[in-house]
Amino acid sequence: MKRELELDDHKLDVKELEVKYSTSVTKGLSEAEAAQRLLRDGPNELRPPRGTPGCVRFGRQLAGGLQCLMWVAAAICLIAYGVQEGEGDRGSSDNLYLAVALIAVVVVTGCFGYYQEFKSTNIIASFRNLVPQQATVIRAGQVLQVNAAELVLGDLVEIKGGDRVPADIRILAAQGCKVDNSSLTGESEPQTRSPECTHESHLETRNIAFFSTMCLEGTATGLVISTGDRTVIGRIASLASGVGEEKTPIAVEIEHFVDIIAGLAVLFGGTFFTVALVIGYPFLRALVFFMAIVVAYVPEGLLATVTVCLSLTAKRLARRNCVVKNLEAVETLGSTSVICSDKTGTLTQNRMTVAHLWFDGQVHTADTTEDQSGQSFDQSSESWTLLSQVITLCNRAQFKPGQENVPVAQRDVIGDASESALLKFAEVTSGPVAAARGRFPKVAELPFNSTNKFQVRTGEGQVDTGGTGELRWDRWAQVGQVSSLMSPMMSPMSPMTSLMSPMSPTLSPLSPGFCARWLPPGTDTPPEDLAEVAQGLCFAGLVSLIDPPRATVPQAVRKCRTAGIRVRDMGTLGTSGTLGGVGGLGTLGGVPRCAQVCYLCRQARARVVTGSELAAMAPGTLEELLRTHPEMVFARTSPQQKLVIVESCQRLGSIVAVTGDGVNDSPALKKADIGVAMGIAGSDAAKNAADMILLDDNFASIVTGVEQGRLIFDNLKKSIAYTLTKNIPELAPYLIYITASVPLPLGCITILFIELCTDIFPSVSLAYERAESDIMHLRPRDPRRDRLVNEPLAAYSYFQIGVIQSFAGFVDYFVAMAQEGWWPGLVLGLRPRWEDEHEQELQDSYGQQWTFWQRRYQQYTCYTVFFISIEMCQIADVLIRKTRRLSLFQQGPFRNRTLVVAIVFQVCIGCFLCYCPGMPNVFNFMPIRFQWWLVPMPFGLLILVYDEIRKLGVRRHPGSE
Amino acid sequence: MARGKAKDGDGNWKKFIWNSEKKELLGRTGGSWFKILLFYVIFYGCLAGIFIGTIQVMLLTVSEFEPKYQDRVAPPGLTQVPQVQKTEIAFTASDPRSYELYVRNLDNFLRDYSAEQQTENIVFQDCGDTPSEYKERGPYNDAQGQKKVCKFKREWLENCSGLNDPTYGYKDGKPCILVKLNRIIGFKPQAPANESLPPEIMAKYNPNLIPVHCVAKREEDADKIGTVEYYGMGGYPGFGLQYYPYYGKLLQPRYLQPLVAVQFTNLTYDMEVRVECRAYGQNIVYSDKDRFQGRFDIKFDIKSS
Repeated sequence: MKRELELDDHKLDVKELEVKYSTSVTKGLSEAEAAQRLLRDGPNELRPPRGTPGCVRFGRQLAGGLQCLMWVAAAICLIAYGVQEGEGDRGSSDNLYLAVALIAVVVVTGCFGYYQEFKSTNIIASFRNLVPQQATVIRAGQVLQVNAAELVLGDLVEIKGGDRVPADIRILAAQGCKVDNSSLTGESEPQTRSPECTHESHLETRNIAFFSTMCLEGTATGLVISTGDRTVIGRIASLASGVGEEKTPIAVEIEHFVDIIAGLAVLFGGTFFTVALVIGYPFLRALVFFMAIVVAYVPEGLLATVTVCLSLTAKRLARRNCVVKNLEAVETLGSTSVICSDKTGTLTQNRMTVAHLWFDGQVHTADTTEDQSGQSFDQSSESWTLLSQVITLCNRAQFKPGQENVPVAQRDVIGDASESALLKFAEVTSGPVAAARGRFPKVAELPFNSTNKFQVRTGEGQVDTGGTGELRWDRWAQVGQVSSLMSPMMSPMSPMTSLMSPMSPTLSPLSPGFCARWLPPGTDTPPEDLAEVAQGLCFAGLVSLIDPPRATVPQAVRKCRTAGIRVRDMGTLGTSGTLGGVGGLGTLGGVPRCAQVCYLCRQARARVVTGSELAAMAPGTLEELLRTHPEMVFARTSPQQKLVIVESCQRLGSIVAVTGDGVNDSPALKKADIGVAMGIAGSDAAKNAADMILLDDNFASIVTGVEQGRLIFDNLKKSIAYTLTKNIPELAPYLIYITASVPLPLGCITILFIELCTDIFPSVSLAYERAESDIMHLRPRDPRRDRLVNEPLAAYSYFQIGVIQSFAGFVDYFVAMAQEGWWPGLVLGLRPRWEDEHEQELQDSYGQQWTFWQRRYQQYTCYTVFFISIEMCQIADVLIRKTRRLSLFQQGPFRNRTLVVAIVFQVCIGCFLCYCPGMPNVFNFMPIRFQWWLVPMPFGLLILVYDEIRKLGVRRHPGSE
Repeated sequence: MARGKAKDGDGNWKKFIWNSEKKELLGRTGGSWFKILLFYVIFYGCLAGIFIGTIQVMLLTVSEFEPKYQDRVAPPGLTQVPQVQKTEIAFTASDPRSYELYVRNLDNFLRDYSAEQQTENIVFQDCGDTPSEYKERGPYNDAQGQKKVCKFKREWLENCSGLNDPTYGYKDGKPCILVKLNRIIGFKPQAPANESLPPEIMAKYNPNLIPVHCVAKREEDADKIGTVEYYGMGGYPGFGLQYYPYYGKLLQPRYLQPLVAVQFTNLTYDMEVRVECRAYGQNIVYSDKDRFQGRFDIKFDIKSS
C-alpha cells in the first residue's frame, strides 16, 4: 500500500494510448462504450471511508473492560435474585434493584460515550458535502457537459483555466496550460502542463494532470487514464483510510489503568469468593460478595470524569480556534514530543510576498508582515522608479474588480502566485497599478514560459522583461557591478560556502530580475519576435519572493523548544524551509528548486534531508539521523515519505503531532498520534484525517494546545488520584463484613451513588485547577515512565489516604451502632442473626428486641453514616489533590471557584440523599443525626495535615516523591 | 517481532519479581522493603491507636443502662411464640411428631413464667390481676440496685398455659400461639383511643390495657378461622400497662413480658389460613415495609390426617 503508484501512461505516445484505452483521440468514446465502462469501473468519485455502523459503535461502548465486569456483576445480581425468588423468599428485591442500577450505569455511560463519538463523527460528515462537478467531454465527436462522476477511462476531456481537473488525465494538447498542484503536493507554484513527457516519475512529468487539482490558466485536452479511487489523489485518500487508527496515549493510559483495576477487582473478588466458600457461606452468597467487591473496586465514574475533563478542555481550546474532533487528542497534544509541520500555510502565510529587493548595488528589505505594518525602504532612488515601473507593467496579474475597499493584502487576484505578489507589492509601494498601466498601454506581450524563462512586454516606447534566476544572463545589457553578486546564483549547483554568504537567504535564484529598455516610438513588433527585441536591456533590479513566516511562528517555535518539543519541517515537493536564525524557524528562505545538495544550516544540530535522499536511505538510517539531529528539515518529500518520517519518529518513542493542509499530508496526519489540519487552507482530506483543526491556521494555536494538553494530564492525574482513594473505604466494609461478620456497613447502591453522583463533581472540578508551575518549561512526559497512574500515586491513595478514610468510616459506623444500642463487642460476629429475616426479636446490648426491618433500617443508617464519612474525607481529599508539591495555602484553597462550588454541591446532594423523604426504601439512605456528620471531620483534618507534611517533605527534598 | 516483544516482557516480569543483579524483590531491595514495611506498621499502628481511642471515648459517652437513641427500635414489633420459619404453623392433629417442635418451643418459652420461677420476692412483685397504671421505678441507673419485675401468672393463659394440656391444644387441632410485644427500654405503650377499634375489643375495653386482636388476613378467609379465644391477665385479651416501662437487661434481668395467648378453636382444615394479629395502642403503629411492627401475620395449615 505504501509503495509509490507505478504509472507509465506519461511515457506512451498517442497511438499506444489509443490502443491501451481503445479510444480515439479525436472523437472520444461512444456513448454506449462510456456507459458500459461506467458500469464496469464505477463512478468517478472518491469513496468516503466506510464508517462503522452506529449500533456497532454503541455496542463497543457497552463492551469495554469495565463494562464487561459490570455486566457480570449485574448478571450475578439477577441470578441471586432469581434463585431467591425461586426459593419463595419474597421481600428481598435488593439484588434486583442493584442489577437494574448496574445495567443503568453501563447503559448511561455507554450513551454518554456514544454521544461524544457521534458528535465528532458529525463534524467529519459535514466536510463531505461537495458540490457536484461538471466536466467537458468529447464523446462520439461531440462536445458534451457531463457530471464529472460519469467520466470513464478513455474519455477525452477538455479543461480550461478555472476548472478543477475531473480525473487523472494524460495531456494530449495544451495551450499555455498551468495547474495548481497544491492540494496534491502542497506547493502553490503553478506548474505548466504540456503533452511532452518531461520526467521519469508520473508525479513530476508535465503531461499528466491530476484529479482535483486546479487548472489556473490556458486550455488542454486530455485522455482520462484513471478515475475515482484509482487516481493519484484517490490512492492517497485511501492510503489515509488504510492507515490504522493509532490509539491515543490517553486511551493507552486509561486502558492500562482499567486493566490493572479490573485485574485487581477480579483478584480481590476471587480471593474473597474462595474465602467465603471456605468459611462456609453458600455459593450464591459468596457470588454476591464477589459482585459487591467488583462494584466497590471498579471506579464507575472514572470514564465519565475523564470524558468531561477532556471535553471541558476541548471547549476551552475551541475558544482559541482549535477544534478538537477526537476528545482524547487534547491530552495527546500535551504529551507531544515532536511536531512535524508542513511548512506551507502553517508556518508561513501561504502567499508569496516580496521580501527583498536589489537595486543600486544594495539589498533593500521589504515589508513582509501579514498586516503590512513593518518598515519600508528608501524609495527615492531612480533605479527604484524604473524597477517599480517594470514590476507594475511586466505583470499579467490583475485585481478582481470591485475590491477597492479591501486592504491590498487581502484582495483576490487573477494570475499566478509570483505575479500576484509583485502586483500587490507594486500597489502598496507605488500607488494604483491600473493607472500606471493606463499610462503605458500594452502593445505586445510574450508570456512567461518554461523555455524562455522570461516574460516580455512592450508598451509605448518601453520593453520590460521579467524572468527567474535561471534567466539567460547574456540578455542583460548593463550588468555592470551586479555580476560579482550574481555569479554564485547563476549556478544551480552552488557550493555551500557561497550559499552561506550573507546574501544567500535573501536573494535566492528564485528571485525574478527585471530589466527595461526604451524603444523608439511607433515600434510594432509581432509577439513571436519579442524575444529578439528584448536585447540590450537596462538591468533595473532583482526582487526576491518568499512565503513569509507568520508573525506568531518564531515565538511559538521558541516556546516549543523550551517545552522540550522538537519541531520538524516536512517540506513538500520542491520547496522547503530552512531552520535557522534566532527564533528557530524564523527565517524561511527558499531552498533551490533544482538543488540536489544536502544543505546544512548554520546550526549543525539542524539538517536538511531531501525526499530523494530519504528514498536512498537504508532502513534505520533515518532513525539514526533523527536521533542525532534535534532539528531537521525534510525537503521534497512525497506523501509516502512523510508517513515514513512519522513512523520513524514514533519508533523512537516520540509522540508525534503532524500539521498539514494538503491531501498529500493526510496519510501522515492519520498516522500521527495527533493530526492537526488547517481550517482555512486545509483540504477536506486533511481535515478528515486530522484529530484537530486549527480554525485560524495559526501554528501558535498548537502551542496553546500543548499547554492545555499538559495541564489536563496533570489535572487528570489529580482527578484519578482523588477517584482512586475512595475505593479503599468502599472495599474495606466488605472485607470486615466477611471476616468479622459485622452487619454490612456500606451497601452497593450507596457505593454507586458515591461513584456516580456525589464524587463526580469534585473530580471534574479538578480539571479547572491552575497549573502548579510553568508547565511549558518541563520536558514532555515519557509515555513509558510517566504514566497517568503510577505506583507511588496508587500506593499513597490506597494504602494511606484510603485507609485513613476507612478508619473514619468505621469509627462513624461503630458510633452510630453503639448510640442506637449495638455495642462494638456485640456487633462483631452478629451478621448471621442480624441478617436472619425470620428473627423478629433480636436482642441488642440493652436487651431491647429488634424486628428484622428495624435492623434493616439501622443498617441503612449505617450505610448513610459511612457514606457521609467518605464524603467528608473526600472533601479533604479533593483539597489535598489540588496540588502535588505546593502547599494548599500557596495554591490558594479557594482560588478554584468551580471546586468550591463542587464541594458545596456535593454536600447538598449528600443532604438531599439523607433527608429527602422516601429515600430509605428507594436508595437505602436514612436521615442521620447531626453529630454523625461531625465524627469523620477530625479524620478529614488528619488527611489535610498528613498531606501537608508530605508536601513539605517533597519540597524540602526534591526528587523523593 | 511480536513474539520477541513478548519474550522481552516475560524477562522483565521475571526480573521484576527477583532481580538478582540489584538483589531486588518486586522492584525493591530488602532494605527498602524493610523501610516501607516499618513505615506502614507505624502508620497503621497510629491509625489503629486513634481508632481504638476514639471508640473508647465514644463508649464512655454511652450509658450502660439506657441507649442514647431509640428512633430505630421504637415503635415496638409484635411477635409470636412458637417462633416458626416462614411464619407458618403446619401440622396434623393426629401426628404428635408434626407439632412436637411447636410444643417444645412453647414449653421452653413458658418455663420462665412458671410459678416456681417467680418466687423470689426481691425480684418479683405482684402487680395485681387486672390491668393498671404504669409502674415507674426511678431513674435508669443502678444507684438503687436492680429493679423489681412484675409477676405474670402462667395460669392466666388457661387452655394455652400448658398446665392442663401439655400440647397447647395442638392434639385437638386447636393450636395456641403466644403474642408478645418486643421489649424496648422506657417504652410506655398507650391504650388505644376509643374510635376505630374493632367491636370485639370495645367489649372488653380497659383504659390500662393494650388489646390484641386476631382476624383473617384476607377478607374471604373471615369465615374460615372460626372462633378465636384470647387468654391474658385477668381474662383481658391484652397487655396490662403495669408491666411497662422496661428498664433493660442490666436492671431487670428477669423481666417478664406480658403475654396474650390466642387459641384458634375452629380453624378450617386442609387449607392455608392466614391470620393477622394486631396490638392496639396510640403509640403502636404499623408499617407497610415492616410487617412485624405492632402486628404480625401467621399462616395455619392443619391437615386432617
